[in-house]
Amino acid sequence: MNARLQGIWNKRLRTPIVSAIRYAVLAVLAYQLLYPLLYMLSMALRRPEEVTDPSVIWIPKTFSLQNFTDTLRVMDFWDAFANSMYVGVGCGLLDVVSCAFVAYGFARFRFPFSNVLFALVILTLVVPVQTIILPLYADMKYFDAFGLMKLWSAVTGGPGSISLIGKYASFYLPSLFAMGLRSGLYIFIFRQFFAGMPKELEDAAYVDGYGPFKTFFRIMLPNAKNAVITVFLFSFVWHWNEYYLSNLWLGNLKKNFAIALSSLRVDLQSVVNVQTISDPLVVLTRIQAGALLSILPLLVLYLVTQRYFTDSVEHVGIK
Amino acid sequence: MFRLQTMPYPKKKQLYGLLFILPWAIGFVLFFAGPLVTSLKYAFHNMEMTPAGLKGKFIGWENFRYAIFKDPEFIREAANSFVNILYAVPLILVYALFVAVLLKNNFRGRGFMRAVAFLPVIIASGVLMDILKEDVFSQGMRGGVDSVYLFGGGGIEGVLTELGFGPKLIEVFNNVIARIFDLTWRSGVQVLLFLAGLHAISGDLYEASSVEGARPWEQFWKITLPMLTPIMLLNIVYTIIDTFTDYGNGVILMIYDTAFSQVRFGYSSALSWLYCLAIGLFLGIVYLLLRKRIVHSQD
Repeated sequence: MNARLQGIWNKRLRTPIVSAIRYAVLAVLAYQLLYPLLYMLSMALRRPEEVTDPSVIWIPKTFSLQNFTDTLRVMDFWDAFANSMYVGVGCGLLDVVSCAFVAYGFARFRFPFSNVLFALVILTLVVPVQTIILPLYADMKYFDAFGLMKLWSAVTGGPGSISLIGKYASFYLPSLFAMGLRSGLYIFIFRQFFAGMPKELEDAAYVDGYGPFKTFFRIMLPNAKNAVITVFLFSFVWHWNEYYLSNLWLGNLKKNFAIALSSLRVDLQSVVNVQTISDPLVVLTRIQAGALLSILPLLVLYLVTQRYFTDSVEHVGIK
Repeated sequence: MFRLQTMPYPKKKQLYGLLFILPWAIGFVLFFAGPLVTSLKYAFHNMEMTPAGLKGKFIGWENFRYAIFKDPEFIREAANSFVNILYAVPLILVYALFVAVLLKNNFRGRGFMRAVAFLPVIIASGVLMDILKEDVFSQGMRGGVDSVYLFGGGGIEGVLTELGFGPKLIEVFNNVIARIFDLTWRSGVQVLLFLAGLHAISGDLYEASSVEGARPWEQFWKITLPMLTPIMLLNIVYTIIDTFTDYGNGVILMIYDTAFSQVRFGYSSALSWLYCLAIGLFLGIVYLLLRKRIVHSQD
């Protein structure tokens, strides 16, 4: 009897029951992860009066775009969009090239202290940026690159240092030298990726007379497409969302979405705008609209690259 | 004359390796090592903003002594973050592993679920998370929307009391429940790493074991989990660093405040150095405890 039950279980019931449980779990997960997005959308589309209306749960009775048009104006949407794009795309590209370049050195060459140096790469991830932020700020404010600027000024009589505060360069320069926001992680990802690529690829290139640099740019980098997309997406997204450093480096001179979003509540209520908003329900719906607007470009980018991104997960093959 | 062509091959390779990491080395000195040394110097000084610029007076260990023995806030905030880690790491790991295993299998709608599962990586940011927590989360708690059941622990509390759990245990449980939203939204990268790790496990192992008669359950404990231990370590380290250096972290906020609102640069540097050393020590202990349990596959 028991054996028969077991047989029925194995043959007929097992698969449908397991998959039913799986779909139930997945549905809960999807709901939980999509909930904030749906909430933002639902709040942003409704009129403020409907926030407290108990008969409206998800779908507003009357759709209103007032929230969006207001927020677009208060946030200086296009300005914030441009600033976020400059930082995100610029640093994304710089991070990809510089981190891949450095990681290739770590993955394929043995040189004195290479392990110690790689440990230092990891160390840069461990030390919170707050530890070094004060001297770093001073360095950015009076940037003179190893005293080279001073030397230059002694020759030409120009200024002994330049201020990078309020300039995109304060983000670009560290990224260019593989020391930007979480660059250590990108070096790590690329190193894993290059270490997993067949050595024959390089040997063939060397036989053809390529030098190491040509091999890297012509053979290795183009073959690392998935890792490139993953790192670019990470870098783009994390720079886009970066508030702390944006606030310090760019501040109000170049407002990006992170800064605009953090001050949105105050900006909505401030007198600077033509009409101030004091109704908390109006502020609530406007803020949701603002939040949605600021991540909309990210969502679009994600939907486009999502396929490569998830594909790359299967091929990065971290060991 | 010095010529590259006449250099022996291994020497040349070393040189090329160094050339490849040169950009990083420059960046490291310019944007990390230099500021790090300066901040250590600050920590031993009483820094003041004067009209002539930043001036410091050497005061020895005074900043550190004050932080450890006199400042009640620092020790409390630091203890909080360490307790926080004890919750966060196991929860994030279990959740991320669970989701990664679910997503690895083939099923209808896998592409969609994968896209959804990585959403936190894309949109979870400091500012946005604050707005989400403030509005979405609290809205649910207020009972306006049907998310009470999802995020609130109110109903469960009664059930647990009935079952005879002590108030301490219930408090722990409530803490866990209250953090679920926060934690799932911070596990994006971990899910990603686990998934990559799962795909790296050779299919031969599963084939061989099922020929021997192993069930999926046994395969999970005997193959999947041991093979994932290196990624597990990576995830633990990543989670610890991510949680400790998060901008919403109490100590981080305090360090920022001390420097930029109270203008006590020296003291702020001392705080961040202490915190940094504590993190390093904690990571070291975790690494030593886990090192023996890491399974290295031979290939």
